[in-house]
Amino acid sequence: MFLYTQIMRKSVSVAAVFFVLAWTQTSARADEILVSAAASLTDVLKELSSGYQSKSKHTTKFNFGPSNGLARQIEEGALADIFFSADLAQMDTLDKNGRLEPGTRKNLLSNQLVIIVPADSKLAISSPKDLLKPDVKKIALAEPASVPVGVYSSKYLTNEGLWDQVKPKVVPVQDVRATLASVESGNVEAGFVYKTDAAISKKVKIVYEVPIDKGPKITYPVAIVKDSKRKDAARDFLNYLSSSAAKETFKKYGFGVLD
Amino acid sequence: MIFSFETWQITLFSISVGLASTLLILPFGISLAWLFARKEWPLKSVLETIVLLPLVMPPVSTGLILLKIFGRRSPLGQWLYERGIEIVFNWKGVLIAMSVMSFPLLVRSVRTSFAEVNPRLEQIAATLGASPLRIFFVITMPLAYKGIVAGALLAFSRALGEFGATILLAGNIPGQTQTLSLAIYNFVQLGKDSEAYTLLGITVALAFLFVWCSEWLLRSGKRT
Amino acid sequence: MKLRCRIPLATFELNIDVTFDARVTAIFGPSGSGKTTLLDAIAGLRAIADGEIEIDGRVLFSSARGINLPPQQRGVGYVPQEGALFPHLSVRKNIIFGAERVMRAGGSRDIKLDYVLDILEIRSLLNRPVTKLSGGEAQRVAVARAILSRPRLLLLDEPLAALDIGLKERILPYLVRVRDEFKIPMIYVTHNLTEVLSLADWVLMIQQGKLVAQGIPREALRSAHALFQLPEDRFENVFTVSFMDSNRAAGTTRVRLAPGTELLIPYSERPANPNFEIRISADDIIVATQNPEGISAGNVVPGTIRTIDLLDGQAMLTVFAGEDFYVRLTAGAVSRLALREEIQVFLVMKTRSFHLL
Repeated sequence: MFLYTQIMRKSVSVAAVFFVLAWTQTSARADEILVSAAASLTDVLKELSSGYQSKSKHTTKFNFGPSNGLARQIEEGALADIFFSADLAQMDTLDKNGRLEPGTRKNLLSNQLVIIVPADSKLAISSPKDLLKPDVKKIALAEPASVPVGVYSSKYLTNEGLWDQVKPKVVPVQDVRATLASVESGNVEAGFVYKTDAAISKKVKIVYEVPIDKGPKITYPVAIVKDSKRKDAARDFLNYLSSSAAKETFKKYGFGVLD
Repeated sequence: MIFSFETWQITLFSISVGLASTLLILPFGISLAWLFARKEWPLKSVLETIVLLPLVMPPVSTGLILLKIFGRRSPLGQWLYERGIEIVFNWKGVLIAMSVMSFPLLVRSVRTSFAEVNPRLEQIAATLGASPLRIFFVITMPLAYKGIVAGALLAFSRALGEFGATILLAGNIPGQTQTLSLAIYNFVQLGKDSEAYTLLGITVALAFLFVWCSEWLLRSGKRT
Repeated sequence: MKLRCRIPLATFELNIDVTFDARVTAIFGPSGSGKTTLLDAIAGLRAIADGEIEIDGRVLFSSARGINLPPQQRGVGYVPQEGALFPHLSVRKNIIFGAERVMRAGGSRDIKLDYVLDILEIRSLLNRPVTKLSGGEAQRVAVARAILSRPRLLLLDEPLAALDIGLKERILPYLVRVRDEFKIPMIYVTHNLTEVLSLADWVLMIQQGKLVAQGIPREALRSAHALFQLPEDRFENVFTVSFMDSNRAAGTTRVRLAPGTELLIPYSERPANPNFEIRISADDIIVATQNPEGISAGNVVPGTIRTIDLLDGQAMLTVFAGEDFYVRLTAGAVSRLALREEIQVFLVMKTRSFHLL
């Protein structure tokens, strides 16, 4: 009987030590945060993440693509921790289906739509109406029915009464970066991208900036995914994205920062 | 399943361009297959390997190479563009992608058929005074035609199923370059599942039909 | 015909240099000695490293002068070993395949066609699909096809090799007819002595790609090269005889081999042509030093031993008994009977050992 008690006491203390250790490890462990973000955020987030990782014990991993595709992945159960979308529609869908961690959704950035042409283009395009010219044979656009930049662009052109005539010339592509690449290659005469995308490429030039008041309201919301197992780390990263240092970086790339 | 006008338009487009590409590669494929089956020359294996590459490489790789060759910035692309011929993001791009990807299948099938024709028959025909052209059309082709048709059917099916090279070279433009495979991809991306399944059904039915016919031809050829 | 060529092959080199002029030249030798390669070279189906081929003064190939006529222009008809009929064409289309060349050059195609069909007795096969022909029929069609292309030279590559012995006997006469009626020079490859003796005026003996002997068949074949190379083959004696009379009840026919020499052969009706050929195997002849009595054999013919050749336990004798008979015995028999050249013997042959050609 005595031996039994001895062993029991020993086991309990050993177990207690394990529990305490495990508990402290949970809050002290380093996490790898997976961020699903719109393609237009590729360069700015990469720069921000190296800044973040030098300060924090957590690391970041990114999944860039068209926001509608990323939203679908999360719907199907992809293990993203944070979703950073290029429009409200995608975030609304996830919100409606209860995929977001309540209270973490926030509108972070804004952007501007521009029309670009290949850097060596000799065509005279200075307004959207010029897109109707016969020399403009093909216009690259991210899938106008679902990808945010495509949706923004087609809505804008519809408002201007130009969409029906532009539509036959449209080459639908995967996302905004694919649009950029098409224009760079010279296989299309023009394309619609965000101002921030045009800024990072030397092979294209902006011929028209859609005025903020006339164009669609472009808002970039961010949120933590409900099924995330690393919510603390995710919160930490989100805070960083809202810090003044991060905001400066966003502005440097040409994004508008919402407060 | 939804059999809309759009569905039929996509199917018709795929079949017509697929047919055109098969007819396009037929004379080249038959000639090359005959050379491979009957002649030897230095570095023959190099040409054989090049012809076989699209069969083995990832289709997107081939598509990228085609894009480089026909894109507007390349010498050939530029030359064509000046003459009003566009390949990239155009149905002609679909034609080229389908042709290149199905060519090796055609050459392989036809080559085997030619190789199975007893060369002695061709030799005797020569001693009887038949010119090489007469030998080819009166002796070789009639004996190999089943394999040729089977090869063409196989090439056609492959053309219909083409995706990787097509999407890079011709893009996925509804109504202009959208084939069955590209449309299925598109519908899935947009979440339009019923349209996707309709097209899926059509592609499966077509593939089944053509491969079955091709096999039947090859089997009946062997029986004689 | 002048034939000089050198062709490197897998295990040896075919090296021939010979000039000859005959109606039918046989090329005789064991399998694998390069005979088919030689025919292919003459027809233009095979590359020659170096040499000359000339027929009737016409140069088909000359490495020295850089002449290499394609098969189409050589005027050489080829009957290959397997016949090689075009399986997707009818018999008729096969036969006239090469005749179109003739038609273009002028000359009435039809008469020639009928003539050939009659000689080879294939008229009834005209509309049959090629795949439904028997071996013998196919060979005759192949010969007709070659003849109708009006060649200057006919090449036949062991045309009877694939046929069984009964069929061989039945087709050989057609070939004899072809030789006699069409008068096209023939080169006939075979490893069968009966065919050589029945058809050829001249024989070239090839072994391992080299010419080892040539001459009139009867004489050339006497050399050791011929006699002992082919143990499996039946060594046949072939004679031309004339019909004398037949006795149906006795089952015999009497024929004259030579003045003073008569033979009994199996019964057959009086033939249209009183002269015909018979054969008997050298293995079916018994040699007796005394005139045997009370035996069933219908033929006992006196003769004189002319030559005896011994090799490896076999003995090949030639015995003159009105004509030269080849007789094959064992070496043991030769020594047991103390046979030697110049002595008188009796040849004992069963009536039924003789066969009609």
